[in-house]
Amino acid sequence: MRDLRTRPQGGSTSSYLKRYWTLYLMLALPLAFIIVFRYFPMAYIISAFKVNNILQPPWHLPWARNNGFEWFIKAFNNRDFLYALRNTLTLNLLDLLVGFPAPILLALILNELTFKRFKRITQTVVYLPHFLSWIIISGLALRLLAFHDGLLNILLRQLGLQAIPFLNQPSYWVASYVGLGIWKEAGWNTIIYLAAITAINPELYEAAAADGASRLRRMWHVTLPGLRPTIIVLLIMSLGRILGSEFDRPYALSNRLVTSVSNVISIFVYEYGIRGMQFSLSNAVGLFQSVIGLFFLLGANTLARRYGERGLW
Amino acid sequence: MKRTLALLLLVSLLATSGLFAAFAETPDIVDGRFTTTRSITVEIFDRANEGGSKPEDNFYTDFIKQGMLDKHNVEVTFIPVPRWTEVDVLNNLLAAGDAPDICVTYSYPTIQTYAEMGGVTDLAPYLAQYKDQLPNLWDLLGDDNIYWDLDPERGTLWAVEALLHMNKRINTFVREDWLKKLNLEEPRTLEAFEAMLHAFKDNAQLLLGEDADKIIPYSTSFDVSWRNDHLITSFVPESLSDKEAYVRGFDDRRVLFPNYKEGVRVLNRWYNDGLVWQDFPVYPAGDNTEDNLLKAGYVGAFTHNWDYPYRNGEDSIHANIQRAYGPEAGYIAVEPFPNDAGIYRKFLAAPIDRKVFFPATNTEPVASLFYLDFISTLKNRLFLQIGEEGVTHEVMENGAIKMLPVQGEKIMNSLTNIDYTITINGLDTGDSERNVLSTALGYPTVDARYIERAYALTSNEARYGKNYSVGLIQAELGMNTVLPSKRDTFLTQSVVAPVDQFDAVYDAGMDDYLASGGQAIIDERTEAYERYYE
Repeated sequence: MRDLRTRPQGGSTSSYLKRYWTLYLMLALPLAFIIVFRYFPMAYIISAFKVNNILQPPWHLPWARNNGFEWFIKAFNNRDFLYALRNTLTLNLLDLLVGFPAPILLALILNELTFKRFKRITQTVVYLPHFLSWIIISGLALRLLAFHDGLLNILLRQLGLQAIPFLNQPSYWVASYVGLGIWKEAGWNTIIYLAAITAINPELYEAAAADGASRLRRMWHVTLPGLRPTIIVLLIMSLGRILGSEFDRPYALSNRLVTSVSNVISIFVYEYGIRGMQFSLSNAVGLFQSVIGLFFLLGANTLARRYGERGLW
Repeated sequence: MKRTLALLLLVSLLATSGLFAAFAETPDIVDGRFTTTRSITVEIFDRANEGGSKPEDNFYTDFIKQGMLDKHNVEVTFIPVPRWTEVDVLNNLLAAGDAPDICVTYSYPTIQTYAEMGGVTDLAPYLAQYKDQLPNLWDLLGDDNIYWDLDPERGTLWAVEALLHMNKRINTFVREDWLKKLNLEEPRTLEAFEAMLHAFKDNAQLLLGEDADKIIPYSTSFDVSWRNDHLITSFVPESLSDKEAYVRGFDDRRVLFPNYKEGVRVLNRWYNDGLVWQDFPVYPAGDNTEDNLLKAGYVGAFTHNWDYPYRNGEDSIHANIQRAYGPEAGYIAVEPFPNDAGIYRKFLAAPIDRKVFFPATNTEPVASLFYLDFISTLKNRLFLQIGEEGVTHEVMENGAIKMLPVQGEKIMNSLTNIDYTITINGLDTGDSERNVLSTALGYPTVDARYIERAYALTSNEARYGKNYSVGLIQAELGMNTVLPSKRDTFLTQSVVAPVDQFDAVYDAGMDDYLASGGQAIIDERTEAYERYYE
């Protein structure tokens, strides 16, 4: 295939444009979308520094107190925000630690399956939970994991074992939260790894096998290195979301006994900002989240490049 | 003559208040009718009920539209707003400047917040000027409800309060047939109630047979302060002063009232004794697990809305239990929790309901006020509440109104069309005795004796909320969702804590509640109360 990034030898700009204008035309629409719906709204970031009023355009409003930083100060003086910050970091880090490797492992295992039909069925089965919303999953979790009436605990008790407070105690709840996250998304996230695995040159496997490498050896020395660029890119993107927080997952799974670990930033924004109508506050918190996320993303990208990976760009 | 008078009044008003801009255009009104047709938009809740009619276009909206056109020469257009997300949708409409001319919500803080942003019309000058043309509004609401939210300092009025005509709240229910089976009296004291719960638990085999292990002597939800209100507030001393009731009354569940903790301690003991539904904390709002347990007949006692087991006809808890356990079975309202003075005190709200306000984008405030007057007129609101005789209701021999189930174009999308009668909540036939009789007929699958009992007990020996006109309490802004959520959380955690940790959990929760804004509200309310009332 021709490399479209290099201009044809000896051609002028106009003949280049003449040749490729359709491609630029196709790009125009998504570009316009991003500019209109992603960049224009950024002007409203300024409302994080203005008095709380969503009836007037923020540029007409006076600055908030403390040189415009009233809402940031308010957030950081709020214990609930600090807990939410801590909980967001904890849950996201655990997700990263446990949840990130899960699809890689699963992809490796799936890749080793030799019966094509069985592999395909297994893949479909592990993808399915991705399509359930967290609301449905939280309903399932309650029926299965409730301390007294949950199916799993009823079984445990009938087997003469102790019931487990999956949802009632903060530490168990965190484990359930992370576990359910893996159950829902690990299968779906294998897609990108499986795609990357198909791109690995089969000759490498053959050569390794000829050299006497066992199955595990081949996974370790061929498949995993082949996956490395994909893993790095996905890792950097996950780090960019380290302070981001989903809303529906913690909100749906939470209950009154575990709010000390389940109240994350998105729930704080919902309670204080949206339901409490302090829109500037929620905007300030959102901005803070984005800036920290950006730092993590840039930092991870720099590190990756320093260690010889391509990174995101 | 009338016009000259009105003009005179206008000139004097202009001179005193200097509101030139607001009154620059005098509406031309002759005998309560505009000389040129005006048009207004009105918010209407959309309940998306199955088989319902379009909330903005049906038999009843036609009645209002035609009436307003004939009487006031005002064209009315209804704007549907989803009932269950009304505050969110209203937020969007207000922020976009698209809100209807007449808005209605249960959330005064929403109105207050928008008023502070300059988004709400001050009703005070219009009401002052047009009072004599709004006799029906005044008849229904009186100065009390109209000026309920008046700011004593600034003189502003952002909303009028609808009338809560039937001020009913909650009841404590027990299984009447279980009491009979165990030869127990109806409990009249906390001790008797607790003994009864133990008796339910100990005799599960007799009461439920092979389902004995499913027995739940007492059930509640995470909404601890609502669902156990009668029990907990019976610990509040009778001597509670009006001042303290106001100062500590920000929370409508009264969690800040003195001695509240001791009521919660009882629940904690019951929970640890296995008398309370053990899994209640993990089920969220709107979950129907508990309803299903009630319908299945596993629950001995609970506290809920005053008519809760009797609602919903064939699908009511009552009907379900009777189908499963025979005609003797059913929940009956009881009064088991006297306070320190031996009085079965119930704390009830003030008689206010929804709040009606005009956004700043309303260019027809006078026509909008006429609208409120129109739907407050007894003849009109009664028609909206009961519809046509022989179609939506029939009149009994004693004069009571019996509602009939209706399908098709004359269906009422809400009970007694509450969504259209935005200035009143509760059936008002114009005669109080007839109201009670009619209410008891509103539950076709339930024997009237259950309803009459529940109706009487729920407000027996009640103490009603009072209005303190102290203006804006700054510390309350933005707190109306955060603090209740904290309250539910720490009360739930206190109930399920081991008995020896109850004090620690409760105190930590209350400290957090106070530190997160509760104390600031108490302080500001104290100061405001002392400024205006001492």
